Amino acid sequence: MKFFINARYLIVPISSLITIFGIFIGSTYAWTGVILFGLYTIIDTLTKDIHLKAEIDDDGNSYGIKIFQYLVMYVMLPVFITIQIILAWRIYQYTSGVVLQNLSLGSIEYQNGISGINLIGAVISSALWAGLGIIYGHELSHNKKEGFFVSRLIMALSGASHFTYAHVYNHHLDLGHEDDPATAPRGRNVYLHTWLSHAGQSKFSFDMEAKKLKNQGKSFINKDNRWLLGYFYSLPSIFLFIWSGGLVGLVALAAVWILSNFLLEALNFMGHYGLIRKDGAVEHRHSWDNDSVFTSWFFIEIGRQCDHHVRGETYFWELDDVGGPNYGIGYFSLFVLTLYPPLFRKFVHKHLDNWDKNFATDEERLIANKFNIDQLGKASLVS
Amino acid sequence: MLKIFKKNKIPKRAALLQSNINFEVLPRTTLLSSALSKGIDWPHRCKVGSCGTCKCRVVSGEVKPNIDFSYTLNQEEIDAGFVLACQSELLSDIEVEINIKNKEKK
Repeated sequence: MKFFINARYLIVPISSLITIFGIFIGSTYAWTGVILFGLYTIIDTLTKDIHLKAEIDDDGNSYGIKIFQYLVMYVMLPVFITIQIILAWRIYQYTSGVVLQNLSLGSIEYQNGISGINLIGAVISSALWAGLGIIYGHELSHNKKEGFFVSRLIMALSGASHFTYAHVYNHHLDLGHEDDPATAPRGRNVYLHTWLSHAGQSKFSFDMEAKKLKNQGKSFINKDNRWLLGYFYSLPSIFLFIWSGGLVGLVALAAVWILSNFLLEALNFMGHYGLIRKDGAVEHRHSWDNDSVFTSWFFIEIGRQCDHHVRGETYFWELDDVGGPNYGIGYFSLFVLTLYPPLFRKFVHKHLDNWDKNFATDEERLIANKFNIDQLGKASLVS
Repeated sequence: MLKIFKKNKIPKRAALLQSNINFEVLPRTTLLSSALSKGIDWPHRCKVGSCGTCKCRVVSGEVKPNIDFSYTLNQEEIDAGFVLACQSELLSDIEVEINIKNKEKK
């Protein structure tokens, strides 16, 4: 029981290693990461109706093994670095015009050199799994010791190191409020949200750092400026990709960053879309839960947003269903819907109406009605 | 070497001066979580160090901050000994004052 509960969270680490192996083998195997993503979308959709509670022993303790889970999360940093290195190697081969030929390394056969189409597969595979690394960057952002720094480095691999500060000091404090750029208001689509949320969180981190340095009597250009430092942490990736393929390398890195940040902001989008909080404490009703079984295991319970935002200090394996707003489907399935905004809005309509009726306070309902009229051209079912 | 493994394994005690409450804080446990587990109605909100609701003033003793308090507390507060209970572990027994008037920052 204890082994299974801990091992079930290894889907991403194992899949990341398979993706790396696929890019190494080359040829059409470079698309392995994309195939896995598609396969998991199907599994998530097929298992959407299975929801589990957090398991605890007779003494009320979690079965989670902290040292094991933290070890896995720390190990994911070199795994994500390896994804970038293996991709850079393939870009180097492509831009150097390495002739396609089958070689072997011990008993492993691989294709030396890579075609343009398979390089695209390698880039998308890398981007998808770098983007999914967010779940570790997120979890570790709530660890205030060395884990926080590891979170910064993981996020820096996607050019988003500002996330670690903005998530804790902005998103967790201002959730559901207009001051939180990561909360998507009703009517916004995921594509616009990606840019606005990313820029808004970076600006928050910039302003927070500027204020801190000013209070300390230091100039903005300073080694203690963590907003700047975060972007410096991304420099090794930039150098690596320029070295590997010049302009092609830079374009590939840009694609990886754009797609991985799109996944990050899609999670923010799905986690709080259209929910409203008037001043006051963050409650369960200010988040959407996505806790179908595959989403829970794959995304290390990040979908238990309602509990997470009220108990931000709680380890992911201890988070539980708290009866908050729930989409009823997993992240993979919902993500597909968000890609076509009219379909997403149609899907979310009934959930928002339910939230307005059964979760919102009177003040929140008033704001929701204003949004419904201004943004969606209709009054809420609740008046 | 052995000292590294031995350090910080002894529970410390926190005394709340204004309410005459005294409780134990285990190693690797924050002041706030210890207080809450003892049923003490310590003001708190985000529990991740961003809102400042749980701030208190350490009158004596030493705490180990888990985060840089300067993002949430201003320099005057830090100089006056204010800490965030949700992000403070104890390095020694401490005496604290809680600013219970400031329950909501926002």
